[in-house]
Amino acid sequence: MHLTGLDLLFWAAGFAENLTLLFVLWYRRRAKAFPFFTALVTLVVIKTLVLYFVNLYRTKNDYAYTYWTLAILDMTLQLCVVYEVASLVFRPLNVWAEDIRSSFIWLISLSLLVALGLTWLGSAPSQTWMQALTTKGNLFASTLLSELFVAMMALSVKVRLPWRTHVAKIAQGLGAYSLISVLIDTGRSYFGVSREKPAFVAISHVRMAAYLGCVTYWIASLWPDELPARTMTAEMREKIFTLQARVAYHLQDLRSRKK
Amino acid sequence: MITPSLYFLLAIGIFLSFLIFIAGYCYWRNQRSSPASFESLFAQLKWIDRNNIAQVALDLVDPSGRPKVGEAAATMEPSQLWNLIGGLDGLETMERNSDVLIDLAFHVQQWYPEALPIAERLRLDARELKWHVARLRGAAQKGNLQISFPFYGQRAVVTYYLMTRRVLELYEAANFSTLADLQRAL
Repeated sequence: MHLTGLDLLFWAAGFAENLTLLFVLWYRRRAKAFPFFTALVTLVVIKTLVLYFVNLYRTKNDYAYTYWTLAILDMTLQLCVVYEVASLVFRPLNVWAEDIRSSFIWLISLSLLVALGLTWLGSAPSQTWMQALTTKGNLFASTLLSELFVAMMALSVKVRLPWRTHVAKIAQGLGAYSLISVLIDTGRSYFGVSREKPAFVAISHVRMAAYLGCVTYWIASLWPDELPARTMTAEMREKIFTLQARVAYHLQDLRSRKK
Repeated sequence: MITPSLYFLLAIGIFLSFLIFIAGYCYWRNQRSSPASFESLFAQLKWIDRNNIAQVALDLVDPSGRPKVGEAAATMEPSQLWNLIGGLDGLETMERNSDVLIDLAFHVQQWYPEALPIAERLRLDARELKWHVARLRGAAQKGNLQISFPFYGQRAVVTYYLMTRRVLELYEAANFSTLADLQRAL
């Protein structure tokens, strides 16, 4: 596969930015709080390296096989990040908030259906089955992810579960990138996948530029700390503990008497 | 003639517009309802006669929040409840205030993460209050408001009353200097 100077520049910039993000995640101790997100960034770094060398030293088929294998891993990890964000927002007390479970299942099912429907509608003028699979797979992934992020935003606003700063930044970045990816994958489905087509090349560059913007946003957002916590005195802790016990008891009692 | 590709582009266009609209709306709601400072949160609280709220709530629960039993419980007449609560409008004001109460609890939780269980409990209480109000809105549409109001309305008021007490206790426990302002408002 022939790469232009601009392609190489995007590859190098992407690699450097992802390495910087990985450094921020470990150095600022965010990796422990966001293990799946850290794994995703690590995978992107490895993916960039592996694909670069496979492209240089192996056949076109090897490249396609490696690309597709890593893309599946990438998609799986992105879904894990969705789970990570959801569990940080919707499991405030380490169990799923009791009022969101059914809504969440309903939203996931609807998102899957819509993503499948749109993927089925898209008909890429592909030369090989691998290209068709890649185009459809990418479109499915980006539509599903964008839906899940918007659905999570809507649900959290509806049930008024606040987003802590870093979770919100990760979700906003990935959500915005997924939305842009839907546009890009639509373009790929419409114009077809081939490096001979100028439209395809331009679309690929837009995607890379969008991703670079997203990584820059994460680096800038994940470097500063969230609001620092204050330490409670023993007296304050006791008061809060007593209040917590009463809060749990009284309404439960009231509810049980209503039935 | 519309080709399958155009159907696809049309579907994606509708899909993206819908998602961007929802995301924009949620972002706007979030920005509007989650100001960082206590003062801006406090300014969002709408005035409600706390004596009326206490009177209605204490008809069902005692001052500590325990439900009353026997003949001492639920002695108020439906018309009296309607007047004290201010009808459906009064409940809707409480519904809006309950959102502010959650934000006030979250404000404390940002400084003291240990207050999280209370903030979460308050959030669930607010959901219950909204559920009661939604039932009453449904009843109003069907013309059954007079029948349903005493039951759901009074329980919504109890939930709101207990929420206000808890927020006050939370601010008291956390030694927040803004407690006096809250006490006057709630």
